[in-house]
Parts: sequence; C-alpha cells; structure tokens
Amino acid sequence: MSSVPRMEKLQDRVSLKDQLRRNDELFAETGSLFGMKTLPRKQADPGMYEAVWAILLNICNTGWIVGCKVSSSPVAAEGGDALWCLHLPTGEAVCASKGIVSHPGLLSLLIRSYIEHGYEEYPGFHHGDIFENNDSHYGGLHSPDFQTAVPIFYDGELVAWAASVSHVMDAGFVTPGSIGFLNPDCFSDGVPVTMEKIGENDRVYPWYEMRMRSRTRTPDWVLGDARGRLAGCLTIRDRVTKLIDKYGLAYFQDVTREYIEDSRRYAVGRIRTQGVPGRLRKSNFKDLAMAGKRVILPQQNVDCLFNQPLEVTIDANAKVRFSVRGASGWVPFGENITPSACISGLLNVYSHMVGFDMFNWGAAAAWELETPPAGSWANPYPVNYFASSGVAWAPAVTWLSSLYEVLGRLYFTRGYVEEVAAGAATTMTAEFSGVNQYGLFTAGLTLEQASNGQPARAMADGDNSAWSIYTPQADFGNAEISELFYPIMFLGRNVEPDSGGYGKFRGGLGHTAVWMIKNTPGIEYQCGCAGLRSKVVANHGMFGAYPTWPDRPSYATGTNVKELIDAQKPLVHERGDSDEPDLVKRVRATRLEPNGVAPFVTPEPLHEYDLVVHPISGAQAFGDPLERDPELVRSDLDAGWTRERVAAEVYGVVARRDATSGEWTVDQAATERRRNDMRAARKKRGVPFRQWWKDERKRILARENMASAVLDMWRASMTLSPDYAAELRAFWKLPDDFTF
Amino acid sequence: MAGYDESEIEKLIDGKLPWTRVQEIMKDAKDADRIEKWVAILQRRVKWPERILLPLTPCLFIVQKGRSRIVKCRCGQEFGDYRANWKLEALIHVRETEASLREVYRGSEQPDPAWVQIREYSCPGCGAQLEVEAVPRGCPPDFNFLPDLDTFYRDWLERPLPDEQEFADKTLEVVRSWSEE
Repeated sequence: MSSVPRMEKLQDRVSLKDQLRRNDELFAETGSLFGMKTLPRKQADPGMYEAVWAILLNICNTGWIVGCKVSSSPVAAEGGDALWCLHLPTGEAVCASKGIVSHPGLLSLLIRSYIEHGYEEYPGFHHGDIFENNDSHYGGLHSPDFQTAVPIFYDGELVAWAASVSHVMDAGFVTPGSIGFLNPDCFSDGVPVTMEKIGENDRVYPWYEMRMRSRTRTPDWVLGDARGRLAGCLTIRDRVTKLIDKYGLAYFQDVTREYIEDSRRYAVGRIRTQGVPGRLRKSNFKDLAMAGKRVILPQQNVDCLFNQPLEVTIDANAKVRFSVRGASGWVPFGENITPSACISGLLNVYSHMVGFDMFNWGAAAAWELETPPAGSWANPYPVNYFASSGVAWAPAVTWLSSLYEVLGRLYFTRGYVEEVAAGAATTMTAEFSGVNQYGLFTAGLTLEQASNGQPARAMADGDNSAWSIYTPQADFGNAEISELFYPIMFLGRNVEPDSGGYGKFRGGLGHTAVWMIKNTPGIEYQCGCAGLRSKVVANHGMFGAYPTWPDRPSYATGTNVKELIDAQKPLVHERGDSDEPDLVKRVRATRLEPNGVAPFVTPEPLHEYDLVVHPISGAQAFGDPLERDPELVRSDLDAGWTRERVAAEVYGVVARRDATSGEWTVDQAATERRRNDMRAARKKRGVPFRQWWKDERKRILARENMASAVLDMWRASMTLSPDYAAELRAFWKLPDDFTF
Repeated sequence: MAGYDESEIEKLIDGKLPWTRVQEIMKDAKDADRIEKWVAILQRRVKWPERILLPLTPCLFIVQKGRSRIVKCRCGQEFGDYRANWKLEALIHVRETEASLREVYRGSEQPDPAWVQIREYSCPGCGAQLEVEAVPRGCPPDFNFLPDLDTFYRDWLERPLPDEQEFADKTLEVVRSWSEE
C-alpha cells in the first residue's frame, strides 16, 4: 500500500495545523483531496471498503439514535432534528448520521477553526475533552444550534472526531425561543458558547450547567440536549475504537480519507455525466415585513426585502462555482448568515440532489463559493460585526431553494427527468412561550415545519408533507406528543389543497395545523421565520408553473369557542376558503387576524380557547398547468387536494361532481376546448417583450408602485455589487448614475 | 451501467412508468446514453427538421439551423440565437394588480403587488406558458441557462459540433439595438 498517503507523519507529531496546510496544498496542486491520485484501499478490496463504510454509517446513526433518546427537547427527542458525524483529525466530515444535513459542513469547519486558532497547543486536545460552539463569528450557523465536538484517540494519537449539533428550545435570546428573527444584533443572540472547552474526562464542567440554568429559559431541555449530543458522540467514539481494533489503525486512516475523496469524485462525476457546462441564473427574493409590528429596537420598524440571486457556472472540468453577487444588505434582524454557513447550506442541497451516495465533506471540494458581497445578508461581518444571526438559516432556505431548480434544469436537459426538483417549500415555524399545563415556564418549537411538500419532479407530482429542506427525515411528530409539551390541543392537521403551486406536475402539498390554546394562564404564539415568504412568492415558475402562495397564518383571541363546544356547533379544523376562511365564518373574537403577514409575535398572550391556524408550505410545481393530465386533476378533486375553481380556471379542466357518489368526472372534449381557448387568450393578452420593456423601463425610472422595501433592496444590491448594478442598468438602458 | 429501452425512457418521461419501476431507475446507476435516447424521442415528436442540440424546457430546444444555433419551440416558433435570453422574443403578461393576480391567487393566497410582479412568458406560436417569474419591478428577466454547447459536445460527449461559436451572453447586445422610445 505504498501509494497510500498514509498518516505516519501525524504519528511523528506533525501538528494538525501543518497537516491542514499540507492538505490544502495537495488539493491545490493535484485537484484531488489529500493528493490522492487513486483510491488504493477501494481498489484492493472493494467489498471491505463498502462494508466498513456501512459500519461507519451505522455508527453515526447509532449515535443519532442514542443522542436523540438521551435528549430532552421535543425537536431532538420527538423529531430527531439533530445530527452526529465522524470527522478526520483535521475536521473533514467522513460520515454523517441521518438528521439535519445542513450541518456536516459547519461541523467540519468548526473543527478546522479550533485547529487554526491554535487549540492543539492550548488548551490542547485530550481524551475525554468536550468542545462546544454556537457562535457564528467562529463557525456556527446560529446560536440555537449548539455544536459539540469530542476528539477520538487511539493509542494516544488523535485519529478522528465525533461531532454533533442540535437545535435547543431556548437560546437565551431577549425574547423566548429559538427562532431569533427578532434579534436586532449579536448581543441579543442569547447565551454564547464561543469555541469553548466545556468539559474533560467525559464530564461537562459545572459552570457550563450553571450558565445554562441562569441564562436560558428551559434549562432542563437545553442541558438534556447537551447530554444527548455528548452521549451520541461518546457512542461514536466507543464504536470507532472497536472498529479500529478490528480493522487496524492504518486501514481506518487510509479508508476514511478515501471516502472523502471518493465523495468528491462522485459529485464531480455526477455533474459531468448528468449535467451540462455553462451558466445558470436564478433570482429569488425573500421578504421580512416588520414595519408596525412588535419589535425590540426602534430601527426594526422597517420592511425588508432580500435579494438572493444565484449564479452557477460549470466549467469544462465539471467544477461548479456559485455566486450570490447582487445580494442585498445585512438586516437589523436575526436573518444574516456567514459565508461558511452558506457553504454548509450548499452541501445540504448536494446531499439531496448530487452527492448523496457517500455524503461527507468531499462534495464541498467539488465546487467553490465566490465570497458573498461584504456587508450583504450573506456576509455581514466585514461591515457590521455586530449583526445578528439569530436564525441565519432563514435566508439560506429561500436562497438554496434556487439550487434545487437549477440542478433540476441541468438534469432535465440530459433527460434525467426523475432527478428533477422544481424548488423547495418555505420554512415557517411556530413557537409557544409561557406557562404550560404543568405550571412551568416553557418555550419551544412545534415540529410542523419539518414536513413540507416535496418539490415536483419532471414526471410526477411531489409527495405531500414528506419533505424538508434541512433533513431527509421529514417528520412533524405526533400531535399527541406536541400536546404533552405545549398547552395546545390540535383541532386539525390537514393537507392543504392547492398549496403545491400549479403546474403540469404540482409540488407536494403542505398541511395546516389548527391549535386551540388549553390549560394555560397565558402563552405567546411566535410565528417565526426560518425561511418564509409572506409578501412575495418564490421565483419558481419552472417551465411555466405558478409558484406556491405566500405564508399567511391566522389567529383569534377572546373567542366564543367554549360556547361553540358547549352548543356542539362546528369548530375550525382547517383554513377553509382563502377569501372567507373558516376562522372568520365560524368564530367570534375580540381580535381576529385572518390573514397575518408573517413573521410576528402575538401582541398579547393567548388564553383558553384562543385559536391559531398555522399553514405549512407545499413545494414548487413544474410545467404549464394547461398540460396537467386531466386525470390527475380529477384525482385531486376526489381527494380534496384541489378546488373546483382552480381545476376550471387554472388547469382548464371541465369536470362535474356526481351529487350522489360525490365523485368527479372529466369532460375530455370540453376540457380540450377550454384549454385551447385559454392558450388563445394568452396570445391575445400577451405583449411582445420588447414592447413591454419600453413601458416597464419608464415605470422603473418613475419608481412606479415599488414598495420602500423594494427600493431599499435595489439600492443596497447595486451598492454592494457594482458589476451586478452595471448589468441591471445596461438591461434597462438606465443612466450610468441611476439608482433606485 | 444501467441501460434502458427507448420505449421505457419514453414512458418514464411521460410519467407512465409504474412508480416501483421509477424508483428502481432512480436507485440504479444512471444510463450513460440517456441523452441520445431522450433527444431521439423528442426529435420524433416535432414536425420540423432541424436537429435538436439540447432540450432547454419541455417546449423549447436549442436546434441547429443552417450554421446558426437557435431556440425553437416544439410548435415551430423561433426565438433567435440561443446565446441571447429567449424571453426577449416571447410574449409577456404581467400580473401586478390585485384584480389580475386574483385570477390565480385569491384572498390570503395573494402576494403584494407593490413587492412582486408575476411575469408570464408565452410562446407567440402556440400559447404555451414557457416560464413564470415572480420578481420585483426592476429585476431583469433571468437568463435561466446559457449552456456551453461546444465544450459539452466536444469534451463531455466527445462528438464535437461543427462551427464552434463563442460562449458568451448576447442578451445585452440585443437590448442595445432597441430604441427606448
């Protein structure tokens, strides 16, 4: 095995920092990770290679099972929204468990950050040490995501790391909870754990526990989750040690590096064999409308719109380059993200769309991210080091959604229609904080947002409530368990018709939860943004589909629901009609918000029999709706998944419902006639682009019907990215000094 | 390496394969000759003679027409040089009032027209809806995909195309020729 780049040097005590530098040099020189020209362990014994991979995967998943069982919070214990990974000594993730796949990249960069900051020398790495971080200034995503790393030693040598992340229920923000969209700056991002050593000899220091008890509102959950992360990591450490006992250290060290290089090759190979070189562009926008709402600081009384452009270039070697050039500025809310977290987010999409056969850090070496504009939402610190990242994942969700569609377009061109994804759903969260049914203060997330609709493919609808952008284990948990954690009662949890956009193939549908507040003296509902849109819709009209609608929750306080129950009258179990929802039709209330622009926190606590209607987004659709098979429309009508109006006016299907059986029948000939009429109407009302361009140019110069958030966004984008501004001006033939 | 009959690929792209079979195809290693079969199927379905070089969307294809490479709809409508955004040659209908949005999005499903426009791009020939954009005023239309055709055919498929062309975005060249009035 002489050609294997073995780690004897490590055993000779080459520092990890030197090893990192050498790894970078080898990659730059050879284009292969660790300079590997071949994969000798794989070539020598592919069976053992695959077997050990399967064992490592099982080890990480065992860490996940143990860790989630030990954890306390509903998100980890019930939803499994956590992750455990095995890493090289220099940080690169080798293997990841199921769970939140947005994090293997961040954990890799975290360990690298420890090394780059000289931790190997001081405080040193020792068996039994426990390191932790939640500070995005040093590699974290956002402060509610606690990252734990445990070194794995074998015969006195650091041979790997076990690392984990879980999303705690209260991060000690100014306001309760873990979705810190309201945070104005990093000083409100809660309890910091900045690259700390939080324990040794497998025990957490007492002062760590004291800090969590005094600075978070749900310390039992926070500490329970800390124990869960540690338990999973120690499980991995124990199992990996046994694996090395069996296969030998040399084999372990060789093969773990080969898995990473193998993953890189897979990702490159997939683009090369299933994609096309060139340039792809996808604009996307995300709103954060906060003017007039309850906020923390005065400067937050503002509406924001994020510009989230994605440009992807693929060169002759199938190297992929991502750019977010044109991104708008940082925001005075918790929705800023760092470039390293963007990298991990891109890796998340790769785990879904490209490199999922052997998912690890290797895929990240198959592409590059151009440093996002300094001062933008995607790179705030060079301009504002105090920017908040209370829920940094929020802008990532809506930006990364574009990558699903872009990769889908690539696969489509080469005929791999089964691999196409039309664009992701959004992530709107629900948190409750206040005194629960046990008389204790509680704060935390429900699990609803972890089950969106799945993006449409190019040959089938997406599945309903079966997909999540951040975890392959989409699971909204049991309603009965959520009712144990929070003082709520589910009145409904139903598939929401037409929530997956309109297209030849629709996105998987989302669902709507209806909660009645029960057994509490008062509790707040925080309709949180972890990646939602409420004023705009996504720019996902892939191949002529219509995007999913905006996220609009509703609620009612001071209701007559108790009287309705006593009188056995109908309650609210679903959203109902979008013009006149069930909440409006059936309930009287002192305050009724039927069409809330999210995100927000209720102005006052909710009490007994108050209601919340919380919709969860479906995913995006594919293709011209007039090309949808009428039989699919009929099937959706029968299932209650589309409405008569939409079937007729958007899909052009003429259908009739049998009054006796309740079943729908399509009139094929009439449908064809209606569709031809609708196509003719498009041609009649459509104007040549060039003519529209002339008129639109004048409206742009007049800033006609442009909300302040839109104008602010364009100004920031054009200031931060001069190239982007120049192209925008050139397209509309605007003066060189034009700004919005 | 997996390989499939053209008839099976045709059923796959038409959504007519049993789901269990689709899953097998998704899990298996990909068939390297998919693009040949895919293009052959699509070529059979159009009535015009130009060779399809690359499908862009279900309706639009880059085709070889003489020495030019142009975007062409399956109905025969032509959209010009593939290196300029084809949307410049499409019909456009913009929804930016509550009334026009209401035809698609009603009540709580409606976005705010001061924040976003719904732009519908249609084919002047057949009325097919080719793309929909949801962007604020001021956003140039996305040039969704500018493929590097020569690199693709020469280096990746190892079947070079005749008459190599410069790989460059020509959209602004088209716009520069337009009069503002």
